[in-house]
Amino acid sequence: MAAGLKTVILLSFVLAVGFLLIILSCALWQNWLPLLVALTFVLAPLPNAIFSHCGHDDFSEYEHSGPIDLGRFITSVVVITGFAFPIVLAHAAVITGGACVMSIVGGGLVYGTIVAYSAAFTQDESEFD
Amino acid sequence: MSLPRADYDPRRVCLNPFPEFTLGKHRRTAGVYIAGALFALANWVFLDAAILSAHMKPIWGDEVPVHVTFVDWVPGICSFIGFLIVNIIDKDRIRGDEGFGDSRAVWRARLFLFIGFAFMAGGLAGSICILVLKYVLGDYPEQFSYYGYANVTQNVAMMLAGVFLWIAQNTSGEYEYNLTL
Repeated sequence: MAAGLKTVILLSFVLAVGFLLIILSCALWQNWLPLLVALTFVLAPLPNAIFSHCGHDDFSEYEHSGPIDLGRFITSVVVITGFAFPIVLAHAAVITGGACVMSIVGGGLVYGTIVAYSAAFTQDESEFD
Repeated sequence: MSLPRADYDPRRVCLNPFPEFTLGKHRRTAGVYIAGALFALANWVFLDAAILSAHMKPIWGDEVPVHVTFVDWVPGICSFIGFLIVNIIDKDRIRGDEGFGDSRAVWRARLFLFIGFAFMAGGLAGSICILVLKYVLGDYPEQFSYYGYANVTQNVAMMLAGVFLWIAQNTSGEYEYNLTL
């Protein structure tokens, strides 16, 4: 469990760096549209979290489960949206290229933190089984 | 023809060859994720063209010669409707297995599947129509044909997303017996 503490500290540090990059990408150019990227990436794991509880019986674990697929589909759509949104804004010259790159990297860090945290958490949980 | 006897049903005219894929343990998950990514990419490529058109500033003339209008949205909407129809249908109905209701339900499911594919193909054809008629044949500068290409890309990617979702949902599960198709 000592490694767990280090992991948590490291992940929170990465999360802070990610948010820092996103906020810098907004504040340096006084254009706060890239802040939507942070919102998108924070919302990205939500569909999986909601739909993973649907149709999760002991029996239907290997069956075709529509709601879980729907959750994965929406998650994937939201993640790609988070990456595509700054590119589209930069292409339309609403934000600059620097803001685009910074918000994408920051958003990737935030989402990576969330994914890594949930992965570590579920791994810890399954050790007790 | 030396087809094994159990592999086809002589009463059926159209055989739907459902391919059997074994891509490892997470093939279904990966397929669904790829489908979602393709779907989002499709729509963002088109939205990119639309936003670019909305923010286009006149450089050389008085006004921008062409904009993305509602006509450009129609093929994408058709593709989206087709995508929804194709993926909402229960795949077991189309196979027409015994014990899945009457045969009329199977017939209706296939009809709706046909309508869905027709919508998707119609969206693709419509996007190519708009590319050719509006942007290639129109006397616009070279950069505006990007709108048309983005439209075609959107519809192709949405079709690919449908294909990936279809394949992902039809891979046989681990503890599932092999269905005779």
